[in-house]
Amino acid sequence: MQKVNFYDEIKRNKVLSWFLLIFSVVFTALFIWVISIAFGLDAYIMLIIAIVIAFLTSYLSYINSDKIAIAMAKAFPADDVKYRHLNNMVEGLAIASGIPKPKVYIMPSPEINAFATGKDPKHAVVCVTKGALEQLTDSELEGVLAHELSHIKHYDIRYVTIATVVVGLVSILSQILLRSLWFRGSDDRNGNAIFLIIGIALAIISPIILRLVYFAISRKREFMADAGSVEITRNPKGLISALRKIEQFYKLNKKTLVSKSTAPMYISDPYAIMAKAFSTHPPLEERIKKLEQM
Amino acid sequence: MIGIILIILAVIVIFVFIGLYNRIIELENRIDNAASQIDVQLKKRADLVPNLVETVKGYAAHEKGILERVTELRTQLMKAKDIQTKTKVGNQLQEALKSIFAVAENYPNLKANENFLHLQQELSDIEDKIAYARQFFNDSVLAFNNLVEKFPGNIVAKMMNRTEKNYLEIPESDKEPVKVKF
Repeated sequence: MQKVNFYDEIKRNKVLSWFLLIFSVVFTALFIWVISIAFGLDAYIMLIIAIVIAFLTSYLSYINSDKIAIAMAKAFPADDVKYRHLNNMVEGLAIASGIPKPKVYIMPSPEINAFATGKDPKHAVVCVTKGALEQLTDSELEGVLAHELSHIKHYDIRYVTIATVVVGLVSILSQILLRSLWFRGSDDRNGNAIFLIIGIALAIISPIILRLVYFAISRKREFMADAGSVEITRNPKGLISALRKIEQFYKLNKKTLVSKSTAPMYISDPYAIMAKAFSTHPPLEERIKKLEQM
Repeated sequence: MIGIILIILAVIVIFVFIGLYNRIIELENRIDNAASQIDVQLKKRADLVPNLVETVKGYAAHEKGILERVTELRTQLMKAKDIQTKTKVGNQLQEALKSIFAVAENYPNLKANENFLHLQQELSDIEDKIAYARQFFNDSVLAFNNLVEKFPGNIVAKMMNRTEKNYLEIPESDKEPVKVKF
């Protein structure tokens, strides 16, 4: 098995998270600058207020990302007595990966899926669907859980959450810019026109670029989490079998309770399988091929 | 000019040294943590013994021999102080527990007993956790050994008087193939 240095992966994720945060601050400042030149002072003030609000909501959603994800999935805590075996499995895998045992939740849906959330390993949550509990064998379930624990251990969650927030922030700012164009009269026409064009171009392109970057990095992370799962369980067969079952289920049932906004956080993006849309997850065949090489 | 370069180099070396020193300590602590993790699980396994003995006694009274052995081993384990004895007795206890479950096959009433089934699953889960804890221990030893044997960690390690640590040996019986669930 290709030995990947996971210590470096963790460090890289933490560094990239900070980088992305700083990028968002710098980008926003640039945005303000361009807008203020293109529009004049009063739009500047309006924009500042809007940005403060955007930052506040972004920060709040980051801090509460786990509660939000759980609420959207309508998940309930997996009681330690009723779901003893599940809790034991999570605990064993957490011991093997050297992180504290995350809280365990269950999503009441017949589909087979799972996700993890929380801003760091100490505040982590792992959630499986009822369907996963019912249809996966122990070995398959362990593969899936280990994949999620891998995400937690590598600080993927933090990175993905920040990236989502930044993408959201840039989208909001772009919307503000494009909307304020409507209200702007024909007052300032001169050299400001150039900055206006730059502003508009930025507004349209940046959300797209950021989204592409976010997707690209997500795909690499999914492969890493698959590798991480095998590192913990020392057995790729469980995860391979689980991924096949997941694909089967979605191809057959074409129904999911997973919302589009949180889909990237799950082990398998149901919308990707059902609609073959461009997704945050690499195609299942590719993932299985890589796993079989381990 | 040369002076400034030398000073900068010295500062870099100091930082690298500190980094390596701290990393060695960190990995060493992780090994200690892993060892105590194993202990925690072993203790949990031993703690289930009285309950198991009581449950089995109710149905298989004449299997006294194996029940007494298991209780005896547990007492020994609680008295054991050093890691060798703990490991040896722990493994014997594991073997004895396997015997109990093998014997239980002959008593269908026992096998249907809810408490017995719960204990069986719980003990099986604890065995898994012990295996994972040992795996984590050996992974931690690997990380430590890599750092302490490769350059430049080996220089710092020499200064700290640290050498490679030993891996845990997995008991022979654990090397059986993974159990198949039907």
